[in-house]
Amino acid sequence: MTFGLANPAGALALAAVGVLVALHLYGRRRRTVPVGNLFLWQQVPSTPLDRRRFRPDLLFALQLALLLALIAGYLRPYRETAVADAERVRLLVVLDASASMQAREAGGTRFELARRRARGLVAQLITGDEVMLVAAAERAHVVLAWTTDHARAQDRLEALEPLDTPTNLAAALALALGELHARPETQVAVLTDLPPEASGVARAELALVDWIQIGQTDDNVAIAGVSVEAPPFRPAHDATATVLVRNYAHAARRVVLEARVGTEVWARRELALGPRASEPVLLVDPPATGEVTLTLAAGDALAVDDRALAYLPASPPLDVLVVSASRDLAAALGAVAGARVRTVPPEGLIDAEPARAAVYDRVVPSGAPRPEPALYLAPPPGNPLCPGVRTVDDAAVIDWDVEHPAVAGLDGLEALTLAHAVQLGTPGWGSPIVLGATSRGGFPLLVAGERDGRRLACLGADPAGSLVASDQVPLLLLVLSTLRWLEETPGDAALAVETGVPALAGPGAADFRGPGLQVAGDPPALLAERTGVYRVGGRVVLANLFDDRESDIGREGGGEWPATARPDAASAAGTVRHELGWWLYLAAAVLLGLEWIAWRREAA
Amino acid sequence: MNLDHLRRLTLHVRRGMGDRPGDRRFPGRPQPAGIELEAHSDYVPGDDLRHLDWNAVGRLDTLLVRRFTAEREVLVHLLLDASASMAVPARDGKLAVARELALSLACVALAANDAVRITVLSGDGAARVSPVLRARGSLGRAAELLAAVVPGGRLGLGAALEAYAREHPRPGLAIVVSDLMMEPADVERGVQAPRARRYEVLLLHVIGAGELDPGRELAGGVLADVETGATHAVALTPAVRACYAELLAAHLGALEALAERNRAVYTRLASDASVHDFLTLELPRRGILRRR
Repeated sequence: MTFGLANPAGALALAAVGVLVALHLYGRRRRTVPVGNLFLWQQVPSTPLDRRRFRPDLLFALQLALLLALIAGYLRPYRETAVADAERVRLLVVLDASASMQAREAGGTRFELARRRARGLVAQLITGDEVMLVAAAERAHVVLAWTTDHARAQDRLEALEPLDTPTNLAAALALALGELHARPETQVAVLTDLPPEASGVARAELALVDWIQIGQTDDNVAIAGVSVEAPPFRPAHDATATVLVRNYAHAARRVVLEARVGTEVWARRELALGPRASEPVLLVDPPATGEVTLTLAAGDALAVDDRALAYLPASPPLDVLVVSASRDLAAALGAVAGARVRTVPPEGLIDAEPARAAVYDRVVPSGAPRPEPALYLAPPPGNPLCPGVRTVDDAAVIDWDVEHPAVAGLDGLEALTLAHAVQLGTPGWGSPIVLGATSRGGFPLLVAGERDGRRLACLGADPAGSLVASDQVPLLLLVLSTLRWLEETPGDAALAVETGVPALAGPGAADFRGPGLQVAGDPPALLAERTGVYRVGGRVVLANLFDDRESDIGREGGGEWPATARPDAASAAGTVRHELGWWLYLAAAVLLGLEWIAWRREAA
Repeated sequence: MNLDHLRRLTLHVRRGMGDRPGDRRFPGRPQPAGIELEAHSDYVPGDDLRHLDWNAVGRLDTLLVRRFTAEREVLVHLLLDASASMAVPARDGKLAVARELALSLACVALAANDAVRITVLSGDGAARVSPVLRARGSLGRAAELLAAVVPGGRLGLGAALEAYAREHPRPGLAIVVSDLMMEPADVERGVQAPRARRYEVLLLHVIGAGELDPGRELAGGVLADVETGATHAVALTPAVRACYAELLAAHLGALEALAERNRAVYTRLASDASVHDFLTLELPRRGILRRR
């Protein structure tokens, strides 16, 4: 039998004893004691009370005992007694709840079979045995902490459903093995469709757990990926989508792929897929823009990967107001098909018609800003909006934020060299997107952000000469890409995510509450647990399962691998911990009663 | 308290003979009339001829008259200190003990056909004096009177007893029940006044257990006199406790000495002691009470 403290940090509360002593001394110093007559006491020399020796009375002793009992209870002392392993069972069930567990087998889905098996294990427990449930999907979920309430465990198992996410068994196994090492009498049962070697856990650790693999069928055809190409400033029918369909079965399959944009049928293709073959399907000439739903009529074992979602964004023609003293820039932008480009000199800006975006060439107008999103090219140094530091020569691009939509899809920016450039500062409303450098050091070349709800960008490149010259093509592409970002309405573009993979959610997402999708953190990140369409903060989120490991459901062998070893943890092996804190709290309650009686007697 | 036990006791009174005829016999003070022959004396003109002892005249040829033992009523004056000091230390309950003691003595006196007058010496200076109680059935009235006593105020015992003796010059037995926590000189002044009027004086000192051992009540602090409001800061160190014990012993010795000097009787009852044992054991041992 050993004793210990579950909360040794609680010993800091002993400082309260000092407070009690101080209060006692202070109270005693102030204490007036009535006596019948002082004539005897007045012959006793008076003593300065502050210098008195500490002399506790009964009330103080009771208060001290009460305080110590409370502190001792807070320390959570325990007594551990050795118990033979056979006397009790602690069962920890790890249940795979990933997407592949939705695969249909004879007798039900893999998850249903696993759940049935888990319920059987729980039913074998006897009164006093403990059980804990952990669901393993993209991370470990403790469904039920240690309990002896077996009925509750059965209820929790019954209510559990598999998710549409990939599997991360390692996290759940780490949790289970931690419990196992802490309490060696723990039995860990893992119910999954993966073989032990796919768990990502060392073989020696796997020998400690009972591994039960469920499922065999490989009958699955899936949409393994979708890629949408929508050229900027081009009509909707120029957009294309490429769908990758993969047969994970070891037998040839014939399936039908149907694509819809909204409710309108876009395409319907019949596909013949060889064993474990893939086929990309190019879809062209969409009838509209919007949500694209791709479905696979396969009748296979796993349905969750037979459906995918994509988004065709609207891409209107370029509509831009160029504020420049020269017409070179307008000429270059006007070369874009269907573009509507107007040029006004800076002094004529006030009368200019509105456009979807404005480009200010070497000028930052003073006064109230126009409502359009704006791109400032080579802003003059010293202006408050796009603070330029100075003009530099022989600059080149050295880095850029590939995740930012203003430069998304741009390759070859490193080829952009500039004879003259404005070294920008970083304003409070934006962040550097493209970094340039000279021999003297780096600086922001493109800064983008939002100010007062309006998208703004500052580009330090000085487009001296014609932008349509062959050596200026990277700069023209950068300008057009930035204009595309400026012209799009914020929140219009859908966010495509994969289940189980966290992604930044953007502003306004923190308020999202709903099943299948979790939003947390600052800045808010979202994690989809179910495939489907979500509206998060005014933005469309499309969640798909594109995971080869989940879709490739075929398993060879299978069966059960009982634990072959037990952990060597003699210090904690076979022990039962009895918390003593409640007894101390009970003693504190009794002491409180005694203290009250003592106080009443003293008061009387 | 078992009243039957008390009714079998009587106060042993040596002095304090009153004027009113009663049951008490006072040997040594022969008087012309009575029941019990005590002595003879020479006849002087005016003596009642019926009391001439004719046998003595015949044998001795001398006129002798019979003298008898005086039989008088004893008026027991129960003087109860009701100053504020009787209420502290509250845990000791000195006043309750004093009440019980006074009521028990009243019971003893009434049972022995003595007259009783209960006087509450209040701290406000005005003594509340009861009528003389003579009937045994008056015990309830005495109990009511004692139960109504509320402690408070500052009492000068010497002055109070002087005033009482002045207002009640007929001698009797004065039983003073007090905590006597005052200067012995003041107590002596109070004892001398009734003694000068031929009272027999019995000082019953009710002392609190917390006064005998102050460590029971306090560890220290600012001591406040409940009667005067004066304060005195004391830490109850062993040295202080020893000093207090010496002072208390000296005080008690002074009280005993003054009683002896003034031919009064002094006895002491601690508040945590049994009043019954005090009445049935201690007072008979001191000759104050005796069995009838």
